[in-house]
Amino acid sequence: MVVVENLNKTYAVGSKQERILDSITLHIQKGELVLLRGVSGSGKTTLLSILAGLEKPSSGKVLIDSEPISKLPDIHLSHFRAKKIGMVFQHFNLIENLTLLDNVLVPLVANRIGVKEAKEMAFAALKRARIEHKKDAHPNRLSGGEKQRGAIARAIVAKPSLLLCDEPTANLDSKNSQSFIEQLMQMHKEGQTIVVATHDPIFKTLECEHRIIDIKNGKIV
Amino acid sequence: MLNNSFFYLFTLSLFKNAKRYIAITLLSAVVIFLLSSVLYISGSIKYSFQKQLSLEPDFTVQKRVGTRLVPLNDSIADKIVDIYGVSEVTKRVYGSYFFDKEHNAQIVGIDLLDEQASKALHNILRKEEIKPFLSSESMIVGESVYNYLKSHFYPKAYNFFTPDGKLKKVKIFKVLDSRSALFSANLIIMPQELAKEIVGLKESQITDIALNVPNVDERSNIRSKLESLFFSARVYGKKQMQEAYENLYNYKGGLFLVLYLVVVATLALILYLRYTLANSLEKKEVAIFRALGWSIKDVITLKSLESISIVALSFVLGTLLGYIYVFMLGAPLLKNIFLGRAYEASITLIPHIDWLTLTTIFILYATTFLSAVLIPVWRVAVTDPKEALG
Repeated sequence: MVVVENLNKTYAVGSKQERILDSITLHIQKGELVLLRGVSGSGKTTLLSILAGLEKPSSGKVLIDSEPISKLPDIHLSHFRAKKIGMVFQHFNLIENLTLLDNVLVPLVANRIGVKEAKEMAFAALKRARIEHKKDAHPNRLSGGEKQRGAIARAIVAKPSLLLCDEPTANLDSKNSQSFIEQLMQMHKEGQTIVVATHDPIFKTLECEHRIIDIKNGKIV
Repeated sequence: MLNNSFFYLFTLSLFKNAKRYIAITLLSAVVIFLLSSVLYISGSIKYSFQKQLSLEPDFTVQKRVGTRLVPLNDSIADKIVDIYGVSEVTKRVYGSYFFDKEHNAQIVGIDLLDEQASKALHNILRKEEIKPFLSSESMIVGESVYNYLKSHFYPKAYNFFTPDGKLKKVKIFKVLDSRSALFSANLIIMPQELAKEIVGLKESQITDIALNVPNVDERSNIRSKLESLFFSARVYGKKQMQEAYENLYNYKGGLFLVLYLVVVATLALILYLRYTLANSLEKKEVAIFRALGWSIKDVITLKSLESISIVALSFVLGTLLGYIYVFMLGAPLLKNIFLGRAYEASITLIPHIDWLTLTTIFILYATTFLSAVLIPVWRVAVTDPKEALG
């Protein structure tokens, strides 16, 4: 499902090159739930962004469903992202002036799905995330937990092969964090491949089969 | 990408962001309104002038003594008639009459025996009106002149001062329709003998001689002949008249164009700054779209459609308001800048639109607007979504 080989990422800081990811190699099977653990600045979010195709690696190979995403031109990478990747951001990144239903609809527009079907799919995704009762609300009217559910609905609406979650509980209280973990377990049970980048100890309560990958200073330890 | 869900999101985005866009649309509409008003006025004046110019003779012969123009002896007209290639020679009598320091009108004397003058009179008066007009000492006045006379309690007749200090009462026979032409508003038409009396010409004197030269190739040759006809002859061509007009009005149009460019540049700068502001809503929105699988092309298409809608709406609004302001309300304030403050202010501008200039303005405006909005959007769109999300 996901193959990462000898992945490196460096950023230019002034005249110096700072290495964020250092020779990362990992394989994730279909239906697997993987936790990328590490302290802030360890490189887990950068790894997640590269897996999502949101940024390019400096070197190395990334294959998702056998597709070398780091080599795809923008138009194909965007299409790939729309179709295969679902992403839950740390700060949710919902569009403020759209309702929750319309926010969830955005990835479907990129997938060229007609408006009627897209609305039905968006509503179904909201229902799966148990937030359908807030479909007409704007993000500024929602609590952190509700925004999170909206973000999950948006991430899963196009039925992606890979769901990526970046610090999903960082902005939630313990009750909402627990609720997110329950949702995560449910999606995993349904066969969804999931990668979560987190340093939240609450994930210790995860009661399903999962793999933990610890990252320190850009390296898998 | 351009399926119905895309257009759904586009309309949604447009209406949801209406508050954000209203200010830009209105500001842009004001700029377009100002410029289109100036264009309409200058276009209308140009149109009226060209209409008037088409009626003007190819050449006018005047007499100059020192630095001033003086009356001609009408016998010179007979010499001009003898020049081969010349046609429609008309002896003209006219002059400016000052009612007071600020208000003057152009008196034109019509020789009813003259074929051209008679034709012109037939255009102004109905057949049954000509006889009564000739039989009494009366005049046909432009609307501006009439308004002035009426406001000074001369609604039916006016007592002109002749150069020897006597009063000459002339009845108002007819008022010219203000829509007939820009140049008729300031006009007083009367029989030539009566005009001579008021202007101060002797019976054998005329103001100038108008003539036509149908063969274009002959014009420069005939001009030389006219200039050598008598000492200090001044030959004034249609082309010179056009140049004089252009010198008068084009600089005003140019001035407004420069001002417009300054305003458009300022608007572009405002938009550019607005769209390049760090962490602005637009920037984040673009980055979210990209992160959710929209390609650069998709994002640019959406933002282009939004901008084109604003451009189209503000342009239509601005040009429509300009049309109403100029042709329905008579362009108060702005018209005075172009025409001066005396009679001309009451002239009705004939609706005439110069489509080529309007299209040029649209292209200039649309290009500036779209560049100011789309360049920052494009810059965000081509950045890695992660970096743009911050």
